[in-house]
Amino acid sequence: MSTDFVRTICPYCGTGCGIILRVEDGRAAATYPDRENPVNRGTLCVKGWFAHEFVHHPDRLTAPLLRKGDSFEEISWDEAIGIAAERLRETAAKFGPDSIGGLASAKCTNEENYLFQKLIRAAFKTNNVDHCARLCHAATTVAMVDTMGSGAMTNSISDLAGAGCILFVGSNAAESHPVLMGEVYRAVDAGAKIIVIDPRETPVARNADRHLRIRPGTDIPLVAGMMRHIVDIGLHRTDFIAKRTENVDELTAFLHEWSVERSAKETGIEAAVIREVAETYARSENAAIVYCMGITQHICGTANIHALCDLAMLCGHVGKPFSGIYPLRGQNNVQGACDMGALPGVYPGYQSVADPAVREKFEKAWKTELPSAPGLTVTELIGAAGSSVRALYIMAENPAVSDPDVNHVMASLQRLDFLVVQDIFLTETARFAHLVLPGACFAEKTGTYTNTERRFQLLHRALEPPGGAKGDFDILCLLGRSFGLDFDYASPGDVMAECARLVPAYGGISFERLEKTGLQWPCPDSTHPGTRFLHEGRFTRGLGRFVVPRYVTPAETPDAEYPFYLNTGRVFSHYHTGTMTRRSPFLIREIEKAYAEINPDDAVALGVGEGGGIRITTRRGSIVTTARITKRVDKGSIFAPFHFTEARANALTNPVLDPASKTPEYKVCAAKLEKVPDEAG
Amino acid sequence: MLDELKKKAREILKAGDAQGVLGLKRGLFDVIHPHVFTAAEELDSLVTEPKWPLAKTARAILRDRPGDFRLAVAARGCDERAVVELIKRNQIDRERILILGYTCGSEQAKACLCSRPWPEKRVAGDIVEGIDPLADDRVRPYLEGDDRARMERWAEQLRRCIKCYGCRNACPICICVPCKLEDDLWVERGAVPVEMVPFHLIRAFHLSDTCVACGACQEACPAGIPLMTLQLSMREALRKEYNYEAGLEPERTSPILSDFNREPRPGQALPDWIHTMDRKT
Repeated sequence: MSTDFVRTICPYCGTGCGIILRVEDGRAAATYPDRENPVNRGTLCVKGWFAHEFVHHPDRLTAPLLRKGDSFEEISWDEAIGIAAERLRETAAKFGPDSIGGLASAKCTNEENYLFQKLIRAAFKTNNVDHCARLCHAATTVAMVDTMGSGAMTNSISDLAGAGCILFVGSNAAESHPVLMGEVYRAVDAGAKIIVIDPRETPVARNADRHLRIRPGTDIPLVAGMMRHIVDIGLHRTDFIAKRTENVDELTAFLHEWSVERSAKETGIEAAVIREVAETYARSENAAIVYCMGITQHICGTANIHALCDLAMLCGHVGKPFSGIYPLRGQNNVQGACDMGALPGVYPGYQSVADPAVREKFEKAWKTELPSAPGLTVTELIGAAGSSVRALYIMAENPAVSDPDVNHVMASLQRLDFLVVQDIFLTETARFAHLVLPGACFAEKTGTYTNTERRFQLLHRALEPPGGAKGDFDILCLLGRSFGLDFDYASPGDVMAECARLVPAYGGISFERLEKTGLQWPCPDSTHPGTRFLHEGRFTRGLGRFVVPRYVTPAETPDAEYPFYLNTGRVFSHYHTGTMTRRSPFLIREIEKAYAEINPDDAVALGVGEGGGIRITTRRGSIVTTARITKRVDKGSIFAPFHFTEARANALTNPVLDPASKTPEYKVCAAKLEKVPDEAG
Repeated sequence: MLDELKKKAREILKAGDAQGVLGLKRGLFDVIHPHVFTAAEELDSLVTEPKWPLAKTARAILRDRPGDFRLAVAARGCDERAVVELIKRNQIDRERILILGYTCGSEQAKACLCSRPWPEKRVAGDIVEGIDPLADDRVRPYLEGDDRARMERWAEQLRRCIKCYGCRNACPICICVPCKLEDDLWVERGAVPVEMVPFHLIRAFHLSDTCVACGACQEACPAGIPLMTLQLSMREALRKEYNYEAGLEPERTSPILSDFNREPRPGQALPDWIHTMDRKT
């Protein structure tokens, strides 16, 4: 018998907490916080404390599965790899390279994502590779590249502790990124002011100095009103603007249209409050903006982020410690999956596929020709499934629950000639697959994740994958070799070494250097200590560019037939499509059943009691769930967590896209609410 | 100090007095993590820093191992006291555990608000004086002012709770089965933040006579709530009224359990400490 303590990284959110698994004879017995990890320093949220609970679940996939009619049959790995290679090759030969698409995974490691995009690009000659970052922070990547030249969090999590003002916009970090709230409270104890912009009264809002419950989708009017006031009373940093930025005139011209009074009228927030929070932010020596899905998942998501970048640059709160812009990345490795080029327009390190010099570099390194046209996004791939896209390879994503308008998604998946899904459980998406490949979970692999503050961190393999399941790295190597690619890597470390050679900003990353505290990119060479904050002295793009945020009202707002605002999101004890957390007994005990939050006034009007059945209907679909009656949501608003397969909030959401980023408008649509009679007996 | 500790640990493994030594290991690349040492040679990599409470982990390992497995634990004063409390509650079989006690330095004692930074069974280190936690600036604000002011101060802190259960999970003595925090009668499922009284004060009461003031609760709290401070007044009262301190006397029952038959009756004065969080001067 043996007891082992294995240091690794939590598989849930993008905070990237260090955990230590206690392994007793090949079984994960407990999870402990890593006291030596610089991110969490000995703390965890409830999901982290129980991260080992799903690992040995009996539902884990243990053999490749081949569809036979309505059921699956276990097959060998040789057969599975043979079938995958043959069917994908046939499809590409018949319908052309762009008939193949791949969805990479923000749950998998950097090395696996690197191999995945390389496989899609090199084997099929298509750039049709994307992943769920499209659904969350694509707006961030677009807008922050427009304004500053880099789409990543400008500063470090620990910098928050030194901010004098923290502006939260559409982030419920206390439930979605709980551990980093510690830094926020350190700031509060040192006198910082917390301002929360959110239509819901989240736990973050309850601990704030000011909570601005804006009308859903009116972020740009609010930020415009704040900027207008800052300029009006001369709190903008003219020296910073003159030296470090361009295009301010266009912004000020835009601000002429936005008096504070107009902003107040549009947002439902008193003009005096708008002025006050604007001054609090502008006057602080250091101020941070923390934001999340509440602002990106809108039809004007990209413009929303333009507005936040403008605000920060206007006040000079970027390019220095304890300030900056903090897009909180949702998944453990969504930053990394983007960094590794699991995006249709860029190779690893955000190097454009359309740039001939870049393409030549990758063609030489990968010893193959590569396509120049950017590929399709997640939403476009699903939309084209069964028409121009004939085969999809989905690695550890679950669009049948996570994408907007899932009824449409499921119909699309069924139209594919060939769907191969690689996952650890038979997910709602895997059920539509022709071939299912059993992968490995976080505890069973070596590799790296990159957290929301650009920190590469090392995972150590603690366990063997169950039964005949294989590490995703091994599966990708088998597939790559079956297409004649040079996927002869001895270990994931070799993949990182290849990546470091091809991406200047990761040039200094190696597994050895990551052991103790990880490294934050950019880290260009093997002696570079990593980068705590970006844009010091010079923006990544040179000058910071003010971009006018074009305000577009939500695609759907309440009307007579659908009189409620519907908002969706996460809760503290569950994670995304629930494949892991809903197989974790402790987390299930906390929240077992699907629910939606409704306001007490609406509950009375409807005659629904706490826990009573309700039906929520939108133009896309309808779900039956239970009511949680709370003033956390305003009268006329509903909040539905999206974790529950039996009542999928995404059966309701609107698939309309932000044109620049293709991010769907998950956060606002119009809904109808009805009481469902209690079941008889 | 470390050499003495390693020497003693080697002796124990060589003599077969224990099959494993639980402590901290400095591994490859200077990474430090808990480890069960099973071979004498391996003990070169034993370290004692940083502070890393291990009593609860020792209990968990002993429960997962057969009854003839004996474990030695490299223990600070607070770890030792926690082990003693766990033995008193039949959570650890005293025949299966050995304490390799070592002292803490004065800096650590100050950081931990520790009044007794040494173990009773000391094999390594010199004893330095502890500090008086109730006189410390980090604790004073929670003791000063009237009930209402103190309540507000606590409410402001406890509202930050994210319901991670870290305080319970990290606390070496918080081991009730079933846990009252998982009892629908007291704590609402799925609600964040938690209600202050049922969640945090149930925990505080449960631990009132067992808390060894190791600080694991607040060190595990992502929101930085000074949870150990909740226990300090009660510890002081027990010390003053009953000369009792959790974890010091393996054979002595807690006065809270032993003194029910001497509860105050009409006409009998209540102990003065129940009227205030602070010590009476």
